[in-house]
Amino acid sequence: MYACLHQPSSGEASERAPGLLEVAYSFAPFVEQTASATVVFGTDALQRTIGPPSRIAVAIVQRQKQQSIRAHAAIASTPDTAILLARYSERKLVVVRVGHDAAELAPLPLSALFEHDPSLPPELLPVLQSWGLSRCGDLAQLPENGLVERLGTAGLRLRRIALGQLHRPLRVTPIESPYEEQVQLEHALDCVEPLLFLVSRILIGFCERLRSQMYAARKLNIVLELERNQPYLRSLEFAVPLQDHRPMLKLLQLDLDRHPPHAPVKGFTLRLEPVAPRRVQHHLLLPPVPAPDKLQLTLSRIAAMVGETNVGTPELLNTFRPDAFRLLPPAEDHPGRPKAIEDLFGARLQLALRMFRPPLAARVRLQKHVPDFFLSRIAAGPIVRASGPWKSSGEWWTTSRWAGEEWDVALEGGAVYRLFRELQTCQWFVRGVYD
Amino acid sequence: MARLLADLSSYLRSGSSLAQQQQTVLHPALPVPGLAPLLTELPRGGIAEVTGPRSSGRMAVLLHVLAQATSRGEVCALLDTHDQFAPHSAAAAGVLLPQLVWVRGQNRPDDMLRAADLLLHAGGFGVIVLDLPEVAAAVWNRIPTSWWYRFQRAAEHTPTILVLCTEKPQARACAQISIELTSPSVEWRGTSCFALLRRFETLAHLRKPAGRPATSLSIRAVS
Repeated sequence: MYACLHQPSSGEASERAPGLLEVAYSFAPFVEQTASATVVFGTDALQRTIGPPSRIAVAIVQRQKQQSIRAHAAIASTPDTAILLARYSERKLVVVRVGHDAAELAPLPLSALFEHDPSLPPELLPVLQSWGLSRCGDLAQLPENGLVERLGTAGLRLRRIALGQLHRPLRVTPIESPYEEQVQLEHALDCVEPLLFLVSRILIGFCERLRSQMYAARKLNIVLELERNQPYLRSLEFAVPLQDHRPMLKLLQLDLDRHPPHAPVKGFTLRLEPVAPRRVQHHLLLPPVPAPDKLQLTLSRIAAMVGETNVGTPELLNTFRPDAFRLLPPAEDHPGRPKAIEDLFGARLQLALRMFRPPLAARVRLQKHVPDFFLSRIAAGPIVRASGPWKSSGEWWTTSRWAGEEWDVALEGGAVYRLFRELQTCQWFVRGVYD
Repeated sequence: MARLLADLSSYLRSGSSLAQQQQTVLHPALPVPGLAPLLTELPRGGIAEVTGPRSSGRMAVLLHVLAQATSRGEVCALLDTHDQFAPHSAAAAGVLLPQLVWVRGQNRPDDMLRAADLLLHAGGFGVIVLDLPEVAAAVWNRIPTSWWYRFQRAAEHTPTILVLCTEKPQARACAQISIELTSPSVEWRGTSCFALLRRFETLAHLRKPAGRPATSLSIRAVS
């Protein structure tokens, strides 16, 4: 059973809706706001607490009086029947007994159906009127098959509404609740730990609400109000939307450890940005990969040790500049797919280079323009074999231009180094070692 | 009763062997065709150690293992103590860089050991490479051996392989596989200063498990 409250137009719609919604929410947690002055809610659960539909109707009327609202009310088997009776019936209170929906709807004009359901094609109304039909009862008496043959599915829908047989779930509007809370402290805090204690309490409540509303948080913003200072904003973006407060709190703690506020905190505003939760179908034939939220937490802990800019996934830059790369945050979804054994690159070992960053300064002795001896912090000795010069230059139009020549040199011990001479300064460097 | 047990013995399986069998099916050993003369695959859930002096081909072996793992769709991590990793070399060796997490160290081995511990406990990685090639003996003396037991415990019963790269063996009893490389003989192509580096020929010993003769590994230069 469903109850509908409709307030006939007597004032501004925006002023009517809150009162009606308040009455509806006092009876049921899920409410459909069909129009600005019309609300519908289920009454099945109320039958256990209040009683039969007649008593529910009395309770609704009493509640309306308390709120000083004069609205028409109807209780029926389907939402559409309740709406139609509340809006178009001449009586202020209609309670339909089970199985009597068609009889109650019969006196309503046909035009009410089209006003009620805008999805019905309006050109059908003159057609029905030309058939001599004016009331819902007239339409309900027509045979279903014949109506579908002539009017299609719209005819079927019309007839079911007129009979009170169109069962559908309520179109519940989600309650918009901001995930934001502001806290003012009596005494300023000069440590992060008690601040996190307060934040955790709020985060637990936020996360419970996120889960109940099928949301997850993608971003967390915290604005710290500092004593004698400007507000201090920290913003965290999670690798995947989170619904658990623990990783959020740990990430915030790691962030505040790395970027602590410079003055005692006298208040803060915490805000979460809700988004749809992440749903992923994992591949059966691919090996498991680290959970993104766990990986972000682990990498944050490592970043606290080695620095934020030193952790990530390398990406080669589209340039010929030596050792040109950048570090990116690890990707959420790894596109890797197993390859056939015959496609595997690297069935043989490939010689690799270990880079020295920054390149090590070196002193090189030349013999007929070929390096003959070199001295640096990590190695020194006569060169037994040298290959070069391999000249390269580029990006002369930018500040990151380079021009120089490279040599591969082998020392007596067997180690092979890559030397680099800058053409502008004629300085020598050890760029790397083959390994 | 004894006869009944004897008849059924071929059908009986212990629970631990079934669990091990399931683990093997879900996470098969990592094939490393480039190291075929020494071993054909790296077993999961243990420490593999690659040791040798500078230019002995340690990085070539590491990149080969990473290339095999990433091409199978696994996510790997490289803990680079001295910030010596060259992404261009890795890409040329076949490593899929989007599946590699690179931690650039600041010459502090202690931090890298702690990072390895965090990554092992986070789980989900195919291969974690702990690169400690230029660590001085004095620093090694400060590092307690209990780290290696901790890593061994953290890695067992997981699909992760911890590959350790050092100059001298460090994990010792905790390592499941230990490969020792020696200084290479360098082969050049061409004459005089127009010569090109062609390949390294290095001698590799499988120290653990012992019993196999040393073999020569050929490491070719990128053409």
